[in-house]
Amino acid sequence: MKSSKLSSTIILIVLIIGAALAFFPIYMAIINSFKTQGEIFKNILSLPTQLHFENYSQAFAKIHLFNSVKNSVIVSVVGIGGILLFASMAGYKLSRTPGKLSSALFFLFIASMLVPFHSIMISLSRVTRTLDVQGSVFGLGLIYIGLGVNMAVFLYHGFVKGIPKELEESAHMDGCGEFQTFFRIILPLLLPITVTIGILDFLWIWNDFLLPLLMLTDVNKYTLILSTNMLFGEYNKEWSLILAALVLTAIPVVIIYAFFQRFIMEGITEGAVKG
Amino acid sequence: MLKKSRNLRSMLYFVGPALLFYTLFMLIPTIGGMFYSITDWNGLNRNYSFVGFANFVEALTDDPDFINALLFTLKYVVVMVILQNVLALLLAVFIESRTRFKGFFRTIFFMPNMISLIISAFMWTFVFTQVLPQLAEKTALLFLDQSWIGDPKFSFFSIVIVSLWNGVGYMMIIYLAGLQGVPQSLKEAAVIDGANPVQTFRHITLPMISHAITICFFLTLNGAFKVFEVVFGLTGGGPGRSTQVITMNIYEEAFSNNFRYGYASAKSVILFIIILLVTLIQIRVTKRNEVEA
Repeated sequence: MKSSKLSSTIILIVLIIGAALAFFPIYMAIINSFKTQGEIFKNILSLPTQLHFENYSQAFAKIHLFNSVKNSVIVSVVGIGGILLFASMAGYKLSRTPGKLSSALFFLFIASMLVPFHSIMISLSRVTRTLDVQGSVFGLGLIYIGLGVNMAVFLYHGFVKGIPKELEESAHMDGCGEFQTFFRIILPLLLPITVTIGILDFLWIWNDFLLPLLMLTDVNKYTLILSTNMLFGEYNKEWSLILAALVLTAIPVVIIYAFFQRFIMEGITEGAVKG
Repeated sequence: MLKKSRNLRSMLYFVGPALLFYTLFMLIPTIGGMFYSITDWNGLNRNYSFVGFANFVEALTDDPDFINALLFTLKYVVVMVILQNVLALLLAVFIESRTRFKGFFRTIFFMPNMISLIISAFMWTFVFTQVLPQLAEKTALLFLDQSWIGDPKFSFFSIVIVSLWNGVGYMMIIYLAGLQGVPQSLKEAAVIDGANPVQTFRHITLPMISHAITICFFLTLNGAFKVFEVVFGLTGGGPGRSTQVITMNIYEEAFSNNFRYGYASAKSVILFIIILLVTLIQIRVTKRNEVEA
């Protein structure tokens, strides 16, 4: 019994040290974001002697915080909304329809799931130029629909199999059309998997860097991540300003994390197990 | 006949929208990439001609930068797949063994994963270039004062550290879920039979979470080959091209260097083939070792 108590203490110590290391960079970024440049160079480890909020007001303006967040929200809402709506419809229909056409279409959707983004980005940039969706925030959201539906169709397809068919049959008897049946009866039943897909796609789209970098050239249309990337390049070594911008960029996701932690973790496990 | 056309129409209504976006932004670019890989298209010129497999031959035999990026990426993949899984599993087992503060540790270790990779890389640039040198100066930990980003010997480790910091939490969540599925009765039975904790872990826990292991190996393997943001934000591939990864080599070839779209497409097809082969082999191997729960 004594040895198990000892090992439990060792585990606790290891976990505490690990947690401290994991939190260290965030802690450093936060405390130094309130210091002047000179104070950072002198006392990087100590708490700020005085809170310099002007770093934040400066960073706020330099990354056009409101505008960047607005752009990120538009991209996420268009992308996630489109993925959830279109993929649930397609996944449901393909799962319920027997036959060659249906299985061929399903295979077509999932065939690309292993293709890395870097293998399509070159011709994607050409396609989007031709279609004139390049350079627009709304257009970027549309591109995410195209990139995200394969995984979502796959997950919906599997989930629908677990819903009894009798529900639709009785709805059909009551004179419900196919669309009505789907939107009134099936869609609410898909809520658990919809939450999972929504969370996974939010984390992907909100934090994505390379696609917006390739698609957006106008500073006014930059997403939050792109604006911060630009600031990092322009104000190289002005750490007080950069750190304030990094903290500002991280705040929205940390707030979402605080509220939805349980759903996020469940979503990851669900998505992983099904995928 | 009438029924058939009605079925087709409803198929079109339900599947059509998803299929349209998918075709435009995923299918056409995928096929397009393969098509351009056998041309000499340079992105600016409308005209191009077919060059067969010349791009592939050039990439694999006459492009030291690409080969170096490939080897650097492979090294990164091996180190990442091992360390990310070992650390994540270790953390999961440790956290699961505790009765109190489970939620607290889970929250802390997962938090870095919420922060975008490029932002993580910037945050760590501050740690590597400002915090660690000062820390070394003020304490006796002189080994911390290295050129973490400027010296290729160390920048490999910096890249791995940031990737682990960001990625371990995600795998830990999946392992935690796997561990919660191991029936307590099995472990108790093993203890009664005289198994020590290591034996119990080796012969009960590991086989019972083999499905989680398959998933995590798949995710880490896949993710590691596609590494981009961390390197982009931390070293930019430098100094020189010493820390350039494949994705970055493709990016540079297509968008910031000489706009050889056809040639860059060939490189991206090579990347796809490598990922496809490696993951298929991995899934076969780990699936074979899976145990039905």
